[in-house]
Amino acid sequence: MDIRLALALAAGKAATAASRRLGLGAGSNFPGKVVLRLHPRATEKIASRLARGCVLVTGTNGKTTTSNLLAAMFRQAGLRPVHNRVGANLISGITAALAQASDLSGKPGGDIGLFEVDEATLPEAVRRLRPGLVIITNLFRDQLDRYGELETLAHKMDSALGEMESGSAVLLNADDPLVACLGASSAASLYYFGIECEEVGEGVLRHAADSKHCRECGSPLDFAVHFFGHMGKYSCPLCGTSRPRPHFIAERVGLKGTLGSTVTLTTPAWKTTLELNIPGLYNVHNLLAAAGGAYLLGLDEEMVRRGVEGYVTAFGRGERLPVEGRNIFLVLSKNPTGFNEVIRTVREEGSDLVVLAALNDRVADGRDVSWIWDVDFEELAPLPRVLVATGTRAWDMALRMKYAGLDPARLEVRENLRDALRTALSRTAEGETVYALTTYTATLELRRLLTRLGAAPGLWEER
Amino acid sequence: MKGVILRICHLYPELMNIYGDRGNVIALERRCAWRGIRVEVSRLSIGDPLDPTSFDLFFIGGGQDREQMLVCEDLSSEKGAALRQAVEEGAALLSICGGYQLLGKSFLTWTGEYLPGIGLFDAETVGGDTRFIGNVAVRCTLEGAEGILVGFENHSGRTRLGPGCRPLGKVVYGHGNNGVDNTEGCVYRHALGTYLHGSLLPKNPLLADWLILQALRRRYDLEALPPLDDTLEEAAHRAALRLTREERGPLRSLRRLAAR
Ligand SMILES: [Zn+2]
Repeated sequence: MDIRLALALAAGKAATAASRRLGLGAGSNFPGKVVLRLHPRATEKIASRLARGCVLVTGTNGKTTTSNLLAAMFRQAGLRPVHNRVGANLISGITAALAQASDLSGKPGGDIGLFEVDEATLPEAVRRLRPGLVIITNLFRDQLDRYGELETLAHKMDSALGEMESGSAVLLNADDPLVACLGASSAASLYYFGIECEEVGEGVLRHAADSKHCRECGSPLDFAVHFFGHMGKYSCPLCGTSRPRPHFIAERVGLKGTLGSTVTLTTPAWKTTLELNIPGLYNVHNLLAAAGGAYLLGLDEEMVRRGVEGYVTAFGRGERLPVEGRNIFLVLSKNPTGFNEVIRTVREEGSDLVVLAALNDRVADGRDVSWIWDVDFEELAPLPRVLVATGTRAWDMALRMKYAGLDPARLEVRENLRDALRTALSRTAEGETVYALTTYTATLELRRLLTRLGAAPGLWEER
Repeated sequence: MKGVILRICHLYPELMNIYGDRGNVIALERRCAWRGIRVEVSRLSIGDPLDPTSFDLFFIGGGQDREQMLVCEDLSSEKGAALRQAVEEGAALLSICGGYQLLGKSFLTWTGEYLPGIGLFDAETVGGDTRFIGNVAVRCTLEGAEGILVGFENHSGRTRLGPGCRPLGKVVYGHGNNGVDNTEGCVYRHALGTYLHGSLLPKNPLLADWLILQALRRRYDLEALPPLDDTLEEAAHRAALRLTREERGPLRSLRRLAAR
C-alpha cells in the first residue's frame, strides 16, 4: 500500500466531512486541494484504477445536465459512476470526488469516472485522467473576466483533444460551429450529435452578436436554420466547410414549455421516441450528448430510455419545488444564450407571471454583469405581474428590466435574497408559480433557503 | 419633442460586441423614446459605405482580437476618413474598449501585431502582459457631464494620450487608460473613447444625455433635454459605486482581514 497516498486520502476524507459539517457545500475545492498537497499525483493514481476508465463532459452550458443524464443511464446499465459534485469541476473537485469514492489504498468504489470539467481545465484533465471519451456540449461567451476570449479557449481545448490516445473517442456538437471544428488533429475518433428537426429553429438570427465566422477561412457562415445562439445548420460559402453529419440525431422535437419535450432520437443502431422532463431546446442537445456518450460506451437502447425517463432534474436546472402551497420553478440562468432559452421557455407559460430575477457578481458568477445587456429581456418584459430583482447586483437587473420596457411600477428591488423570496411568495396566489431565474451562486443560495423552508432536499441528501 | 429625429450609426454590431456593449445603444434609444425623440439606428459593417452626413451619433463597441483585426482593415479604407470627417463636422461618437483603441493612432498588441488606427484620437495603445479587470469609478471632467462614472474594465491595452485630446476623467478606483497616469478615456470634440463596459450608459445617464444633446445640436437648436425620472438609474449608480468602493477602496485590506 502506498502510505503517502493513504495519508493524503485520509486527510481528504476528513476535509470532506469537515466541509459538509461547515456547510461549505457544492463547489468547495478545499478537500481536493488537501489531497493534492499531500500527494500531487493522487488524481491519476486513483483514476487509472477505474475499470471502465473516465468520461469527461465540458462546454459552456449543459455540463451538469449532460453528465447527470449520463450517470442515470450508467446506473440503468449497472455501472457505478464516480461523479463530481455540481460546480466542483476543477482538478481539485475531481480529486475530491475520487478520494471520497475510494478506500485508503486508492481503490475506487466505482467502475467508471464521469466528470464535468471546467472548459479551461480540460487540458490538465485530459493529461491526468487519460479519458476514453470526451464530450463537448457547446461554447458560448461566458465570463470573459475569467476565461478570456473564446478563440483562445477553443484553441486550448483543441490542443487538449490532440493529446488524446487512439482508441478513445470525442463526441462533439455538430450544431455549434465553434465546437464541431475541434479535434481535427486528435488521434481519437470523432463523433457528432445534432438536431435535424428544422421546425424548432428560426430562419433569421436574433442577435448580430451571435453571428459566426468560418474557422478555416474567416468568411461569415451561412445558416439554413438557427436553433438558438449560434447553434444551427451552417456552411461556409467560401471554402465549403460545413456542419458535420451527426451520428446522434434529434429527428423530431416537440417542445412542451417548462414541462420538457418529446424527442425522436436516432443512433446508428436504433431509433426511439422519448419524453424528456427538462425544458428547452438546449436540453435536447444535452440529451443527445448523453445518449451519444452512452451509445459509444456500449449501452443499449433500453438503458438510455430508462435513464432518461427516470431522470430527476439536476439541482437548480429547471426544478419545480413546492413552497407554502405555491411552486418555485428554479432555473440557473448564467449567460446570455442560456438566459434567452429560459425566457423562451417561460414565455410558453402565458403572462401575468411572478418572476424573481437574482443577479450576483461573485467570482463564480463572473464579476462583470455587462452580459445582462445581451439577454433578450425585451421578450420577458411584457410577462411579469411583478418582477422582484435581487442579488448583489439587484439594481443592475432592475435597470435592465426598465430599459427592456417593463413598467417600473411592476418592479420590486430587494437586495437580500430572503426578502426577495418573501416578496415574491406574497405576490403569488396559492397554486401559482414563482419563476426564479438565478445566476450560479444565487441558485445555490436560493436552494439553501428553500431547503431550510423544507421545500427542497439538501444538496448532500441528493444521490 | 415632436419632429426631432436622432440618427444613430451602430458600427460593426456583429463584430464589436463584447459583453453587453449594445446596452449603450439600448439606453440611447430608450432615453430618446421617453422624450418623444424619434430614433433611427443603422447598422453598418464590413464593406458598407459610410456617408459622414447621414448620422448624428456613432457607436462602436469592444471586440476580440480576431474581430478587431477585421475591423481595423475595414476602417483603413475611406471609411475611417469619413468617420473622422463626421466628428470634425460635429457628430457625437462613443467608442468602448477595442473600438476606442482602433480610433486612436495605433495599437501594438502584446503578441507584436501592429494595428494602425484612424487617428481620430491622439492616443497610442500598447498591449500589456496582464489584464486590468474589475469595477471602476471615474471622476468625469467632461463639461456638461461632471460627476462620477461607474463601469467595469477588462483590457490588456495601455493607452497614452497625446496633446491632441483630453481624458474623459480621472480614475478614482480601478486602472483606466494605462494604470499609471490616473486618466481614463479620451475626448475629442464630441467624440468619446473609454474602457468602461457595464453597460456604460444605462448607469451613467448624465453621459448618455450629454451624447444625445451634442448629437441633436448638430441639426437642431437645443439648449437642454427635458429631464427624465432617473430614480432607478441613480439607485443603480449608487449601488455600483458602493460595490466598487468596497472592492477597491482604501479600506479593502482591513475588510479582508475582518472577513477571515
Ligand atoms: Zn470557410
